[in-house]
Amino acid sequence: MGLATCWFMNTVEQEAGEVARGLRRRDPSLLDHLIQQYQYRLFRYLLMLTGSREQAEDLFQETWIRVLEKGHQYKQRWKFEVWLFTIARHLAIDFMRRRQPQSLDALLQPTGADRPLELADTASSSAFDQAFQGEEAASVATALRHLPPSYREVLTLRFHEDMELEEIARVVDSPLSTVKSRLYRGLAMLREWLKDIYA
Amino acid sequence: MRDDIHERALQLVDKRQVEGLTAGEHNGLEAHLESCAQCQKRALETERALHALRSAVPRFDVTLVLTTQMRARIRARELIENAARMRALWISCTLSWVLGVVSAPLLWRGFEWIGHRWAVSRAEWMTGFALSWVAPAVVAAAVIACRQARGSSVTEPR
Repeated sequence: MGLATCWFMNTVEQEAGEVARGLRRRDPSLLDHLIQQYQYRLFRYLLMLTGSREQAEDLFQETWIRVLEKGHQYKQRWKFEVWLFTIARHLAIDFMRRRQPQSLDALLQPTGADRPLELADTASSSAFDQAFQGEEAASVATALRHLPPSYREVLTLRFHEDMELEEIARVVDSPLSTVKSRLYRGLAMLREWLKDIYA
Repeated sequence: MRDDIHERALQLVDKRQVEGLTAGEHNGLEAHLESCAQCQKRALETERALHALRSAVPRFDVTLVLTTQMRARIRARELIENAARMRALWISCTLSWVLGVVSAPLLWRGFEWIGHRWAVSRAEWMTGFALSWVAPAVVAAAVIACRQARGSSVTEPR
């Protein structure tokens, strides 16, 4: 292992240690800092997962409250964002279960006829149109509307968050093979939609 | 060029983005893309799709952060106060238990004396002793259980 890699790993571990100690103390200024630091990333993940701006905002708040309450469980060896997204995902699933009780399998089924993970009616609404900004936002919003939520979720973890496949598997609580197949299918669908739009 | 070579190249185009390629796969793919316009187009489409995905930034309401920080601060204060109360309760429980153990022989003699004095049966005064000895612990356990039940219901998400 190179010296630079070693230094980087030590710094990351030190930061994780500080976060773990701060969360155990329920240090409000640490939490303020974490909320600031992860605001866009967490919100984007929740938006991709739920397909609804309102639900993403509600779950954003609940996730941080849960982080505060469960902070003593966070271990220094874990990457903070993996733990954070796992909490956010569990909350989102709990929320959906309360709204439409069904099995976890059904909730995670990416190709179900009723798109169970979808909280908002994204087929008709413009949740993503309203949520995204940027040059290609409208095209991306159209493409995302047509992707199953479980594909959107892994795409955002891989290509926005640059997470390793093993980390994604931990967040979505699925085997590595499932994560890969969702990524390949999601990428193919995204490409198809954007290809048509650009054409 | 045979179809399966193109098929393999297209698989590698996706694999490059999803899993990453080995040096051999990377070199093979690059060589193929240089000579195949169709696969090159597909590689370009893939990169463009991912670029578009990455460049889509969600609109973010800054008041959401302020509201969340405020809620988190209030909850943190509640949790810290609750932990302090629970600590005080545990300390008093421990002290009460220690005092209970230390005073048990005296209490036993006291109940024995009362039993003789008012001609109460041995089983009755022993039951009285047992109840008086466990009563504080039962009350404290009930208080702790109530507090914890209330605490866990607060932590349930909406």
